[in-house]
Amino acid sequence: MDRRVTGSTAVTRGHISIDDVVKIYDAQGAAVMAVDHCSLEIEAGEICMIVGPSGCGKTTLLNAIAGFHAITSGRIEMDGETLCSSERPKATPGPDRIVVFQNGALFPWKTNLENVIFGPVMQGKLERAQAIDKGRAMMADAGLAGVELNYPGEVSSGMRRRVEIVRALMNDPKALLLDEPYRALDSLTKSVMHEALLEIYYKNKVTIFFITHDLEEAIFLGHKVVIMTTRPCRPKKVLTVDIPHPRDYGVLTSKRFRELIEETNAAVHEEALKAFQAGEKEG
Amino acid sequence: MQIAENVVLGDPSVVLRETVPFTGATDALLRRVVKLGRRTRYGAGERIYTAGDASDDIHIVISGAVEHVFSPGIGAQESQKRMGRGGVFGWAGLLLGQTRRLATVTATEPTEVVRLPTEDLVKLLESEPLEGAAVMERFASMIQRDFAVPALLARVRRLSSVAPSEDMSRMSLTMHRVALWLKSPRPYLMLIGFALLLGFWYLAVEVWKLPRFKEMPGITTVVKEWLSRSPTYGLSIHTEEYYTHIAVSVWRVAQAFFLATALGVPFGLFLGWSRKFKEYVFPLFETLRPIPILAWVPLAIVMFIATESAVIYLAFLASFFATALNTMLGVESIDESYVRAADCLGANRWQVFRHVIVPGALPFIFTGLQISIGVSWFSLVAAEMVSGQYGLGYVINTSYMMVRYPTIVIGMITLGVVGYATSAMVRIAGDYMMEWRVRELALAER
Repeated sequence: MDRRVTGSTAVTRGHISIDDVVKIYDAQGAAVMAVDHCSLEIEAGEICMIVGPSGCGKTTLLNAIAGFHAITSGRIEMDGETLCSSERPKATPGPDRIVVFQNGALFPWKTNLENVIFGPVMQGKLERAQAIDKGRAMMADAGLAGVELNYPGEVSSGMRRRVEIVRALMNDPKALLLDEPYRALDSLTKSVMHEALLEIYYKNKVTIFFITHDLEEAIFLGHKVVIMTTRPCRPKKVLTVDIPHPRDYGVLTSKRFRELIEETNAAVHEEALKAFQAGEKEG
Repeated sequence: MQIAENVVLGDPSVVLRETVPFTGATDALLRRVVKLGRRTRYGAGERIYTAGDASDDIHIVISGAVEHVFSPGIGAQESQKRMGRGGVFGWAGLLLGQTRRLATVTATEPTEVVRLPTEDLVKLLESEPLEGAAVMERFASMIQRDFAVPALLARVRRLSSVAPSEDMSRMSLTMHRVALWLKSPRPYLMLIGFALLLGFWYLAVEVWKLPRFKEMPGITTVVKEWLSRSPTYGLSIHTEEYYTHIAVSVWRVAQAFFLATALGVPFGLFLGWSRKFKEYVFPLFETLRPIPILAWVPLAIVMFIATESAVIYLAFLASFFATALNTMLGVESIDESYVRAADCLGANRWQVFRHVIVPGALPFIFTGLQISIGVSWFSLVAAEMVSGQYGLGYVINTSYMMVRYPTIVIGMITLGVVGYATSAMVRIAGDYMMEWRVRELALAER
C-alpha cells in the first residue's frame, strides 16, 4: 500500500489541459459570460488550487471538466484525450475525474462502507466481496476504521469528507475535483482535514483540482495556486509554491509561507473588491 | 522498593475490576483481558507516549501515578489530569475514526502499567458481543465523564460482531425510541388530551345536558352498549357482526391501498424522473386529482357492476393520487449532487434510478403513504355509505337511518382506532426501510 511518492517519482496520468475555454450563460436572453478565454495547464499529479471570490465562475470551470455543464467554445483535454470542445461541448462524467462536492454528496441512505464501494461495484470492476475488502482496507488507511457500518449522518462532518475522498479514490481516478470541500467546516476541523488530505495524497498521488476562496488553504496545500479574476473568470496570476512536500502544519508559521501570502494577497483582495462592487451595482 | 506492594496484588484483574470500563465484568472475561496485557514499568519523569503517536494499546495504572496532558484542540475542558492506581489512558484507538494518541503521558513517579493491545481487546470484546458492548459503552461514558471530552469525540467504535444482525440493531433502535418517548412528556400530554375530550363529552351530554347535545348518545350509554353481551341495537364487542364489519372494511382498504401503492409509487417515480413523461401526463393528472371522491360515485357504480369493486375503486383512487403526487415531489426533492456523484462514480441511468432516485425519494414516499392510507379510509367510508352491504361506513349509515345513535358512535370510534393502527403500521414499515433516517433523527433528538 505504501506508494508514498517523493517528488521525483513522476506521476504520468491526470494531466489536464484547459485551452481557451469560454462559457456564456444565456439566461433569459441576456448573455452572461462566466468564463472568459481561460487557458490553464494542470500537470499530472499536481495539486492545483483555484482561488477566487465567491461566484467568480470557478465552479463553472470545474463543472465543465466534470461533465456537468457544456462549454461555449474552447477545449479541455485530459492526457491528450478531448473531454469537451466546441464540437462536443459537454464531457461525459466518469470515474477518471471524480468530484467532491461543496456540501458533500455521500448517499445518506447507504452506510459509509456501501458508499465507498459504490463506484467499483456499479462499474462491475470488482465483485461485492472484493470491493468490501478493498473498501475496508482503504478506510482503515484513512483513519476511518470502526465507522464502516455507520451511516454518514452518524459521523462528524470532517469524517464524512474523508469517507467521500476515499469513495473517490476507490476508483483509482486520474484526478479529483474538489469544490470548496471544507467551506462548511470550523477552522479546527479544517486544519485537521488539510493534513489528512495531504496524507491521503502522499499515499495515492492523483491530480487535484481544488477550488477555494481561502488563500492560506491554497498556499498550504498547493503546488500551484491560480488566482482567478472575478466574473468573467480567467487566470489573473499563477503562483508556484516552492515549499517542498511533504508539508505539515509547521509550514503555516514559516517565513516563506508568510512571504507567499503577502505576494498574492493584493491580487486576491483586488478581485474580491471588484466582485463586491459588481454585486453592489447589480443590487 | 515500590514493587514489594504490588506483589500482594499479583493479579492485575483486581485493579482492572476497579476501573470504570471493567466494573461488573465477569471473571471469565477479566481473565481473558488480563492475558492480553503486558506489564511495563516506567521511572519517574519518563515519557510513556506522545500525542500523535499511533494509538495501539490501552494503559491501566497498577501502581504509581502519571500525568495526562491533551494536545490542544481536543476540546477537553481540563487538558491536564493526574491519574493513580486504576487510571485508564491510551484509549483513543477505541474511538470512531481515531488512530493517533490524543495526549502526552508522563510518569510522575515510578509507575507500573498494564498495556492492552487495542485491536486484540476489540477482537476479544467482539467474541463476547453482549458483555463486549457493555464494556465499550462504559469506555465511552468514562472518556466523556472522567476526561471531560466532548460527547461527539467520545463515541466509541461499534463492535462488528454486534452489528451483523440487522434485526437486532433495528430492534434496539425501536426500543430506544420507545424509551425516549416514555421519558418525554408526550405520552402524558396525549392522555390528558383524551381525558379532556371524553370529560367534555360526559359533562356536555349527561351532566349539563346542553341543548345542542340533546340527541347525542352519552359516553356511558355508548360504552355500556359497546361492552354489552346483549346490545340493545345489536352491535358490540361480543357480537360476531361487529368483527365482520371491521374485517370487511380493513380488507377493502388493504386492497385499495396496496393497489394504489403498487401503481402510484412507480407512476410517481417516473413522473419525477422523466421530464417528457411528466409533460404528457401531469396536466391530466392535475385535472383529475381535485375531483372529490364523492363525485366519482355514480360513474364508479356504472363502471363496475359489482358494488364491491366500485367501493374498492373509490378508495383506491384517492390513495393513488396522494401516493403518486408525494412520490413525484420526493424525486424532485433529491439534491442534484447525489445524481452527479453517482454519474461520476460510473453508475448508468438504471443504477442511478435504483440506488439514488428510489432511496432518495423514500422519505416523501412514506409521507405520501401515510396520507394515502388516511384518504383511503375516508373515501372507503364515503363509498360504503352510498353503496355496500358491510363495513363500518355501512354501519354508520344504516344506524342513522334506523335511529341507533349509540351504534353510530361505536362505528366512529372503531374507525378512528383502526385507522390509527393502519397508519401506525405504515409508519413502522417506513422506519424499517429507512434505518438511516431513524438513526439521524435519534441523534438529533439526543
